[in-house]
Order: sequence, then C-alpha cells, then structure tokens
Amino acid sequence: MNRALSITTALLLAAVLCMGAYLYYLRGNERARAQNVPDTRPISAPISGPPSRVTFWVAYDNPGVLRAQEANIAVPDDPAQRGREILHALLGEYVKRPSPHEMPSGADVKDVYLVDPNTAVVDATADFADGHRSGIFVETLTVASLVKTLTANLPGVTRVKILVDGKERETLAGHADLEDFYDAGTVEQLIGQLQ
Amino acid sequence: MPWNKLKPRFQFLVSGFSFLERSAAAKLPPGNKKPETRNFLLAITLIFLLMASAPSAEEKQLSVYGPQVNYSLPVWEHNGQDYVALLEVLEPFGNVNATADGDRWKLRFNSLEVEFRKDAAAGKVAGQKLTLPAPFVLEDNRGLVPLRALPGIVGRLLGTKTEYHEAARRLFVGGAGTHFTTDFGQGKLTVSFSAAVNPSISTEPGRLRMTFNRDPVVSATYLLRQENPLASLVMFSEDNGQAELVIEGRMPLLAQFSADRKTIDIVAAPGAAQTAAAQSAVAVPPPPTLQSLTAKPPFVVMLDAGHGGDDLGAMLNETLEEKTVTLVFARRLRNELQNHGINVIMARDADVTVPLEQRAAMADAARVAVYLGLHATSQGSGVRVYTAMLNSASAPPGTFLPWDTAQAKYLLSSRALSDIVRAEFGKHEIPSAAVAAPVLPLNHLAAAALAVEIGPPSSEAASVNAGVFQQRVATALAEAIVVGRSRVEAER
Repeated sequence: MNRALSITTALLLAAVLCMGAYLYYLRGNERARAQNVPDTRPISAPISGPPSRVTFWVAYDNPGVLRAQEANIAVPDDPAQRGREILHALLGEYVKRPSPHEMPSGADVKDVYLVDPNTAVVDATADFADGHRSGIFVETLTVASLVKTLTANLPGVTRVKILVDGKERETLAGHADLEDFYDAGTVEQLIGQLQ
Repeated sequence: MPWNKLKPRFQFLVSGFSFLERSAAAKLPPGNKKPETRNFLLAITLIFLLMASAPSAEEKQLSVYGPQVNYSLPVWEHNGQDYVALLEVLEPFGNVNATADGDRWKLRFNSLEVEFRKDAAAGKVAGQKLTLPAPFVLEDNRGLVPLRALPGIVGRLLGTKTEYHEAARRLFVGGAGTHFTTDFGQGKLTVSFSAAVNPSISTEPGRLRMTFNRDPVVSATYLLRQENPLASLVMFSEDNGQAELVIEGRMPLLAQFSADRKTIDIVAAPGAAQTAAAQSAVAVPPPPTLQSLTAKPPFVVMLDAGHGGDDLGAMLNETLEEKTVTLVFARRLRNELQNHGINVIMARDADVTVPLEQRAAMADAARVAVYLGLHATSQGSGVRVYTAMLNSASAPPGTFLPWDTAQAKYLLSSRALSDIVRAEFGKHEIPSAAVAAPVLPLNHLAAAALAVEIGPPSSEAASVNAGVFQQRVATALAEAIVVGRSRVEAER
C-alpha cells in the first residue's frame, strides 16, 4: 500500500468515526427531547385551601394492575371541582415521561358534573381519546383508573359516565365502551381480578 | 388442473388406451374389429381421465379471478408453506416464458422480468426488490413462489389491484368479484348476482348447497338472511379456492336459474309445497317467528374479526394493523372449527367497515350459540380472554332482553366458556389470563360471548401475525369450543 492510499484510508476511517460519534450525539438529543414531552394541557386556576389526602388508583401497564397511591394535594371543597382536580392530577401522571401508563400530551379532564348525588359525568379532552393507545387491555386500565379514582374520592358517587369533548363517544380507542355508565361495584370487581 | 400436471396422467392413459385397444383388436377375428369396441374403450378411458384429473378432497388449490379469466391451480406444500407455480398463474394474463439457469430462475412476462434464486427469500420483480415470506423453490425447472407472496408479485406485474383471501386461497385481480343480494318474497328466496354464475347445486336433508368453483362470488358478511318461512339461515363461506352459499331450509328446497343465470330462485320442492298446503288446510300454522323462538337453533359460532375498513384498530408496529391480523386469525380459526364440524359465520370476511352494533345485531339475529370477538395487541404477551363487565344478577326474566344488558342472562355461560378456553390454552402451553372488561359489543350479545385478544409470543410485535403461533391459538380455541359445546348448549 503506498503512502497516498494509506493517508486516504486513514482519513476516511477518521471521517467514519466522526460521523458515527455525531450520529450518537444526535440520537441522545432526540431521546432526551422525547422524554421531555411538553404538557400542552391548559393550566388550571390556582387552588386555594389546605391540602387534603386523596387516593389515586394508578394504572400500571406492566404488570397490568391498578395500585392505590395516596397524596396530599390542595383541592376545592366543591365535589365536582374536587373531582376534576383529582382527575387532572391523575392524568398528569400519565402524560409525564416515563409513565406507568402512557397517555398523549393534552389528555386531560375538562370538567366533572354531578348530575345527581350518585352519578358523575366526566368530560375529557379530545386528545384524551384521539391519542389514546388502542387495545382492550390498555383502554380498560384507563377507564378503571378514572372511575375508581373518582368514586374513591367522591363519597356517594356510584355511577360514572365518560364524555369526550362534551359528546358521547362509542369507544375510547376502538375497544372500551364509553356509551354506558360505569358502575363502581363492577369496576371494583375488575380491579380485584386484575390484582 | 393445469396441463403441466395433467400431461403425465393423460399420456399414461393414452398409452393404456392404445394398449387396451391393441389387445382387444388382437383377440377379435380379422375383419371383426367393430367401432363399438373402440368407442367403449374410449369411454372407459375418458372416465379414468376425468377421475384422475379431478382434485381429491384433500388437494389444496388456488383460484384466480381476473376480469376475463377464472381458473384454479394446484398448491404444493414445502416445509409447511403453500407454494404455487408462478408461470402457470401468469399464463392466462399475457405472454410469459421462464428459463432456469442453475440456481437462477428468470421469468419474462410481457416486457417485465422476474428473477429468483433457488432457496433465496428475496428476488426481483419488475426491477424492484421483493422479499418473500419463505424461500423460492425451483423444482424440475419450475419456479414455485410462496402463496402469500403471490398478490404482491401479480399486482406488480399486472399493475393492478389484487385482493387475496388467504384462508380460502382465492386471488381477485383487477377488481374482479361477483356480488349478490338476497331477497325473500312470494314464497321464494331470490339470490341476484352481478354477473352470470354457474354453481353446482347439491341438496342434503334440510340444506341446499351452491358451490361456486369458477365464479368470483364474494360477500362482505357470512350471515346473509335468516328467519323466514322457507329458510332458517343463509350462509356464505369460502374455502380451498371455492365459495359456497348454504341455505338451511325449513323444508326441502329447489334452485331455479333465470335464463341469463344471474338470478337463482330458491323455492320449496314440489312435494314439500303440497305437504305444507295440506297442513295449512287442517290447521293454522303458528307464525314462523314464534316457531323460531321456540325451536332450538343450530349450534353456530360467530367469529368477529375486530375492526376492518376505516377502523384500523391498533397499530401493532409501524406497518401492521390490528384489522389485518384479526382477519387472518379469524380465517384460521374458522378452518379449525369447520374441521370439527362446527358451523361458523363471520361478521366480516373482507376489509370492510362493520359497525360494532351491527356485529352484535347480526349475531343475535342468527341466534348463534357462541360469539368470539377477535383482537390483537402489541402489549404484553399471551392471550387475554374477556367476558362482559356486567352483573349476572341484573338479567331480567322472560324472553325479551334489553339491548344494553342482553349479555347478563348468558354471563355464567360466557364465564364457563372462558374457563374452558383458558384450560385449553394451558394444555397447549399458551399463557393466558381472563378478566371482565367493558369491551363492545359484548353487552349486547344473547349468546355465550368472549373477546379474545392475542398478544405477541415474543418481544417482536409482528410475531403476533406469525402463522405457527396463530395456528396454535386457533387450534386451542377450536378445541375449547368443542369441549364447551355441551355446556353452552345446556344453557341456551
């Protein structure tokens, strides 16, 4: 191998190594950006009042269970607003990365209505359903998490209905029924089966 | 039957005929060689020829339907994969010739070229690289391609849309397809086709069967019409390159063709009509709907391949859609159930949109014994079996069931079937779990109803579409239905 060829080969090898290093750097950047998904949900009005103890029923895709997690957060006294803030905080856990049960950024609860002492209607954002992962199991976990968290923190509520952007929707993402009311008792049984 | 395959048999029979003729002629006195002898031997030979060329019941075949041509070809198995001779597939569509040079096999179709290498799972078609699902086979200079790759190859060469019904081995080229409608009126069931058809008709007790060997008859749904005084069920099915229309009659039936062969009227056979008339002269028969309510319907399983058409379902990876996986799996399961002698209807057997409520309505109208909603996921592994998330205590007494909670009455039966399914999965070493879930349309079904969600057997999401894995799951599910049949029947 003559000298010119050796130099060319060495330069090419060096170029390959440099490009490889640059690609590795770009990949790292991209990963970091994916993990810092901006929370595009609207900012809630500041909550005043003393923190109170609430129970979140958090879904874990792996191993496919719901686990109760207690936290002290400031929530309003009004039951409907209280329900909305609790679900807002719950979904906040799901839009974070990493999350035990990933949801798209923008997944949130717009409002919670108590139509009678036993029945709550949850109005979720369009992103909550449009960007939800499709599958019987993941959709079931979402529904169970929302219903159980709401009924656990609003005593007396035994039925929950989920709307999307103010409208009734057939399924969450192709599988889980959003037409019917969810009964707290049957959701409790479901959670028992999952455990 | 292609000439390549027929030729050796034919030559053998021609030789046999010549030999027989010479022997017979030798035994006759000179000048007494009657033409009847020759005709007799010719007739015998032709009968043998027809018997030899007819496909046996087990012989797999592929049917190809084009705008101008319809034909069937034999399918060969190599290492558990179905193959077909590419040259024979393309012959009816244009000028084609093939040459083999060592391990290389080249085919020229009109101005386009195809090139494959023996035992290689990739090749070139019309200048573009093509990956095969199984290695190319070169056998006696004849190139065999995996059947699953055929729609892609034919579509690329003909530059037209192809649709392949994999489980039934039916390939539709260039939008070929004969659609039909059914209409019941004036004591007859009229089946109207969009093109002339030539089915073979057979009857057996309580059933009239039309088999379409060469007609590209298609239907988006399997259950077509039910509950009328003439027939209890009209079902469409397709298998091994053929389509079938089966009419479960309440009396012996007869098929009458129109002159243009586009319409077939199904009427009561003359004897049956007289018997029915005599019965009506002495007593007023109960309304047919009441009869149908009191009589126990046949054991039929509905397979509902989840999603379809505009509803893609989950994206299992970047390219694999849930709707595709569920349809392939449903067809496999149908074959397994039919092998056990179980009647099956499909909520969809094509890539069409069928609303969820319509699927449930279809199952309830057909009074199916078992409903299986089929889904696929890339999350987790193994199979999850779901029953409706209802309370069985909420089942109302009486015949009529509320739409929203129709399943409550059948919940115990569904749960029992779920247990049986899981036990069968256990026997086949398939990991499974069972849970109640709010899956549509389970709540609306008046039958033992399960949703089955299959997950990938490995970390690779695409493995959920692997034939071997799906076949294992389908076999276990079919066996569970066979085992659970008596339990389900007891609670109907």
